[in-house]
Amino acid sequence: MSNPSLIIAAKDIRDSARDPFLAIVAGFLAVAALTALVTGAIALAGDVATYNAAKDALLALGKSTDEIKPPEFYPLRLLRGAVEQIEIVGAAIAILAGFRAAAAERGRQTLALILTRPLTMRQFTLGKIIAGIGLLALALGGVFALCAALLHGLSGIGLTQDDLARLALIWAMSLTYTACFFLLGFGLTLHLRRPATALLIAFAVWLILVLIAPQIGDTMDPDNQIAGGVFHALSIAKADQTRIMQGYTTFETIRDGIEQASVTKHFERLSFAVLGIKATYTGLPLGPILIEKIWDMVWIIATALGLGTIVLALPLNPKTLTEE
Amino acid sequence: MTAAYLIAGQSVRLALREQTVVVMAALLLALVLLSAWLGWQATTTVHQIYLDAAAFLAAAGKPVPDIQILNTSALGLMRNLAVYFTLIGALSAIVIGNRLVALDRKGGILPLLGTRPVTRATYAVGKILALVILIGGLVVLAAVISAATLFILPDAKFSPADWGRLTAFFGVSTLYILIFGLAALAATARSRSETIGILVPVTFWLTATFILPALTLNLTPTAVLNPISALVPAPETAFFGWTGWALGPFSVAQNYGSTAAGLLGYRPALWVSGAAIPPLASLSVILSAAVWAAYSGLRRLSQTDEGCDV
Repeated sequence: MSNPSLIIAAKDIRDSARDPFLAIVAGFLAVAALTALVTGAIALAGDVATYNAAKDALLALGKSTDEIKPPEFYPLRLLRGAVEQIEIVGAAIAILAGFRAAAAERGRQTLALILTRPLTMRQFTLGKIIAGIGLLALALGGVFALCAALLHGLSGIGLTQDDLARLALIWAMSLTYTACFFLLGFGLTLHLRRPATALLIAFAVWLILVLIAPQIGDTMDPDNQIAGGVFHALSIAKADQTRIMQGYTTFETIRDGIEQASVTKHFERLSFAVLGIKATYTGLPLGPILIEKIWDMVWIIATALGLGTIVLALPLNPKTLTEE
Repeated sequence: MTAAYLIAGQSVRLALREQTVVVMAALLLALVLLSAWLGWQATTTVHQIYLDAAAFLAAAGKPVPDIQILNTSALGLMRNLAVYFTLIGALSAIVIGNRLVALDRKGGILPLLGTRPVTRATYAVGKILALVILIGGLVVLAAVISAATLFILPDAKFSPADWGRLTAFFGVSTLYILIFGLAALAATARSRSETIGILVPVTFWLTATFILPALTLNLTPTAVLNPISALVPAPETAFFGWTGWALGPFSVAQNYGSTAAGLLGYRPALWVSGAAIPPLASLSVILSAAVWAAYSGLRRLSQTDEGCDV
């Protein structure tokens, strides 16, 4: 291994293997994701039991069971909560990983030593980024592998190759999405005078992009103002809903614009479509879904590449890095 | 006690000079301002959609069901406030709590204080007092902004009882975010690293906000962030009955959300808590535990403390 960036990356990965931080945060994310998966499965089992009881009661009365709709079961739909946990907790963990990657050299005062070697600042930064994203890939890979294993066991019907391909795609996009937040935390910590300020600013950005912008869009959604949805409460069919909503295009454009401004919403829309969590995509083949959702993918990849370019392009100030 | 006031006053002045504290507070206040408009806009839009849908159903000769959002109190317009206190209010409190201790530890103030006739208990009381002053001030500012926006909103009429309930809402919100500020005081005082001092309360906040509601009510994180969706009943299974009863008292965000919904008048009439302890009582117990954790953590801080790592 002669590439200086790869040497730095390998050193960072070795350092992380000795530090329990990665295992602890990856474990926390796994607990969050698996909790969401298991509680979703238990709730679905409850729906199935309620349906069976209602069906038995109707049959005992000699009535038709056409009136009650059986609960739908698509294993990947159980990942809704897990995807949302990756959106929120995964992004927060990525910020922390970025912070630690930059702050480690500052805290230990090792940067001055590293820079005595034949290594440019850009190679040093690139090495750190490769290591950080590599470790995120490992942590997310573990979380997805656990989710897939649990889903395989819980569903009773197993996961198909198509399901596994969809999971692999969402793992790759989760990595790209969390890489955006890694680069944010890493870049701010490298360039701001105080590491703690960098961490808090990164969390403020996370708060706005991950929680507040999607929350505003979600709250403005008229169908979210009433538990179960306004149209469901009024028993209005989908086609008629569309006709009624035609009078609210400006409102919907503003609402959608707020959501689109957040990379989190693009990740959520793509994941929900690919995994069939959103009902309109359930059971559809992957190809047409990817064609429809290509701009969500482009947005996520472009955000990661853009942030990566900025972090690599900004000149490092060794004086700042040797402080604290 | 005078020494505690002096420490509190000095700590407040120091914290207010911190950019991160000011930025987080400004973000919360901006969202408070936005919250009233957001609630009004969403409510008027859904009301108009309801009227359009009712006309459509009437034309089709179908009955028009009554739906609750149109019957909630005018204070329901402020429902997003509860979400913003859950998110940025709690995080602002964590930042304030962290800075109140981290600045002293990094600045080498503790050994200086050790040369004065100041006990560790006085120091602890002074820091907790400073936290209460800063968080109380932030919530008062948020309350003033909310009241001002309510006067501006068209068609929003409020009775004296409504103002009383709004005041109670801000009181409960203060207690809620204090829990996280106290947790940050405790964590920053006990940890050797400044980062861990932030990480521990943030992890507590993430668990309380996004993991416990999944365990007790099967709520996804997105549902937690929607003031209406967060009030849906738990699935009717033995598992959720048990987790709701046993873990419900620890689900602080959920307990705060349902209390806030009750005060602002958008909680469904048939809503019941499945927890072993009522929401407000749970919040009080957890707040007491947080006060104890902060006090004991601060008392353990040595006056020969050599500061904390990054």
